[in-house]
Amino acid sequence: MMNPQRLSLSFSSTSYKYRFVQGFIRALKRINRQKLATSLLSRSSPTEIYKRYLKVKSAADASMASAVGLRRAWSRALLQRIRDQERINFGNKYYKYCPAGTRIRGKSTTFTMIRNIKRSSDDRNCKDQESINNGALGWKANELRKLVPGGEAMDMCNLLDETAHYIKCLATQVKLMKRIADFASA
Amino acid sequence: MSGQENENVGFQQSRSEGFLNCPSSRMATNTMPEKASGVTMSSLSMFKPPTGSDPFFASGWDPLVSLSQTENFGGSSMVTQGEFCNPPYNNPVVLESQGMSSTSHLVQYPSDSSFAEMVPKLSCFGSGSFSDMVGSFGLPQCAGIASTGCPPNYPPNSETTSTVGGQSQDGCQISDGGIGSSPNEKRRKRVPDFNSPLSPDKNAEGEQVQQKDSSISDVRKEQDEKKPKIEENSSGNARNKQTGKQAKDSADSGETPKENYIHVRARRGQATNSHSLAERVRREKISERMRLLQELVPGCNKITGKAVMLDEIINYVQSLQQQVEFLSMKLATVNPELNIDIERLLSKDILNSRGGNGALFGLGPGIGSSQHYPPGIFQGTMPSIPNTAPQFASLPQASS
Repeated sequence: MMNPQRLSLSFSSTSYKYRFVQGFIRALKRINRQKLATSLLSRSSPTEIYKRYLKVKSAADASMASAVGLRRAWSRALLQRIRDQERINFGNKYYKYCPAGTRIRGKSTTFTMIRNIKRSSDDRNCKDQESINNGALGWKANELRKLVPGGEAMDMCNLLDETAHYIKCLATQVKLMKRIADFASA
Repeated sequence: MSGQENENVGFQQSRSEGFLNCPSSRMATNTMPEKASGVTMSSLSMFKPPTGSDPFFASGWDPLVSLSQTENFGGSSMVTQGEFCNPPYNNPVVLESQGMSSTSHLVQYPSDSSFAEMVPKLSCFGSGSFSDMVGSFGLPQCAGIASTGCPPNYPPNSETTSTVGGQSQDGCQISDGGIGSSPNEKRRKRVPDFNSPLSPDKNAEGEQVQQKDSSISDVRKEQDEKKPKIEENSSGNARNKQTGKQAKDSADSGETPKENYIHVRARRGQATNSHSLAERVRREKISERMRLLQELVPGCNKITGKAVMLDEIINYVQSLQQQVEFLSMKLATVNPELNIDIERLLSKDILNSRGGNGALFGLGPGIGSSQHYPPGIFQGTMPSIPNTAPQFASLPQASS
């Protein structure tokens, strides 16, 4: 999974792993506290399980994104997305329940700044980008854009770059979550 | 000839100096891009009399010019030599540009290999006629083009080509001599044609010089445009792709290494439009990234082609995301034993274990399709989860 000899190898997996596990376990603990707070009857109802599933999933994504930090476009976009969703879901309780490490207020301006900078630097590539978008690869690239968080604003080159890093992080996330799940169920 | 050899050695050693070292003082040596290493202007050495004086050039260049101009340029970004070349040196400029273009078509990425083309050209020196030399006149920016010296005849061309090829490998990544020899042959065929009709060519030459100048100026302009355009922070990526670019003067050549430009040379037969050059750079970047992705996605080693590769990438990303969802569902249903021993969890196997349950490795390698991706994990929970998931999808709608 890690290719130490390439430029996309700014991937220091150990620190990502540690931070991810830390944040994720804390979020899981919090979610379990909430679970215990609900009545025994409703605890295993499908609705509750579904809600918990959503929380766990967003906690996992948020921990991974915050482990990566803000240096990657996809992690920034993912954190922003999660934050927006949480704000919608929980209203003013949002900040209290922020997963560890994502409680960065006033960072939305940074996000927009960064996004604008990236967009302007991508403009010069739009001629070549057009050819890709209009070609046979165009719709596939758009499919990929939908999958990778923050992909809509990227040109092909950066999109592929982000996809590579995103795949690595996703694979790490899956691996660690598997271990946690096995540990928890064992 | 020994003197020439010395010069050749000197050229080889002179890194990032203009190939015009040979004609010495007047030619700015800076035209060498930072990557140029040791131009072996053995051909030039041929031309340079010990005095290095003008008359030699003045008399000698005409046939060369005529020869060179009949060559197909392919719009190499030769250029800046024109700056240095005052009228007495117009011909050499032309010559160089022609040489550049002729050499450029051998370029394979990275374009340092463009220097390789010089190799076969040099071997063309053959007869003492300048015309021969023109054909083989490899130009400056070539790194480490071995000192071919001046082979006395054409026949030894092949030998010299091979030797040059061998020698030139030190500096650049040079395509094999086989490639070089074929354009060499092309040259050879044309070269004898131009031996005789020198005078009629002079008129053509006059025009072509102007054309050259215009092309040179165009290329120069393109360079100017390109600099602000292609200016990027290219770290390891672009360094591989940096080709020799002839800086305008010594100051520039001193600056360009620091500025992280992507220097691209147009290959033979390709447009020198700055847009197309920039596009080519982008395309190379994209294909490099696709290669990286190919290594990441399992089972994509045999896939060639962007479309299929993108399909696989999309499938893989989708499967990974689905796995995350399944795992989080599993964690949502599991009992919270996590309350205990977080530190134990952290310090222990989760981070470091490679072995462990067989269930961990349910997702084996060789995943060829999306269907292969999820199943491994869910040996235990498979029956329950798929059944409940659709219900979950419908429930929130019902409840909300």
